[in-house]
Amino acid sequence: MIRKFVGTVAAALAVLAGLWLMIAPFALGTQPENADWTSATQSEFFSGLGVAVVGLIGAICFAAAIYEELVVRGLVEVRQRKAEPEPEPVPVPAPQASSAELASLLAPLVEALREDLSNSGEHRRNGKAPLVGVEENR
Amino acid sequence: MKAKLGVIALVVLFLGGLWLVAAPFAVGYQARGATYVDATVNDLWLGGSLAAISFVSLVIYAADALRELARRGKHSDA
Repeated sequence: MIRKFVGTVAAALAVLAGLWLMIAPFALGTQPENADWTSATQSEFFSGLGVAVVGLIGAICFAAAIYEELVVRGLVEVRQRKAEPEPEPVPVPAPQASSAELASLLAPLVEALREDLSNSGEHRRNGKAPLVGVEENR
Repeated sequence: MKAKLGVIALVVLFLGGLWLVAAPFAVGYQARGATYVDATVNDLWLGGSLAAISFVSLVIYAADALRELARRGKHSDA
């Protein structure tokens, strides 16, 4: 862990050094104004550009490695992206049955229930316990 | 993998530092035997510092990696 931190610091310092190298010919006055770049300016500028780019890459790589290690150690939690909520299904209206049809459909069931309630305590013909008794025993 | 890329960057920075030290003489904007011009002094200081920092970082990286290897070896022996 500490070695990656040292690497990050060194690479960040290199970025600063590269940036300074790029502006040094103009800051120190070795590059005359309104004139073509001298060989010294070209050398310093492009060397500085290279140093800055390589330093930036190194700093990013070391920082990413530190982050990876922190995640492995469980010191940093990876943020999970929130799943987009699925659109609610549009309710399909159930086919409407007329009340008369519904009553005729439910009539045998109601009749069976009534019969079962009136015969509570007795065994049914098929030998099974009445439905109400079963429910109460649960 | 990312740390390896970082180490490679440090090696390249070390070589860049060496290049900066040699640049005034290699490119030719520093005359031999003459007093050092500002650009030369700047390059020598920055190049030397860059090479030194990169080298020290590489040494620390290697030393810490070796220490971790030794620790793992001790744990596997126990």
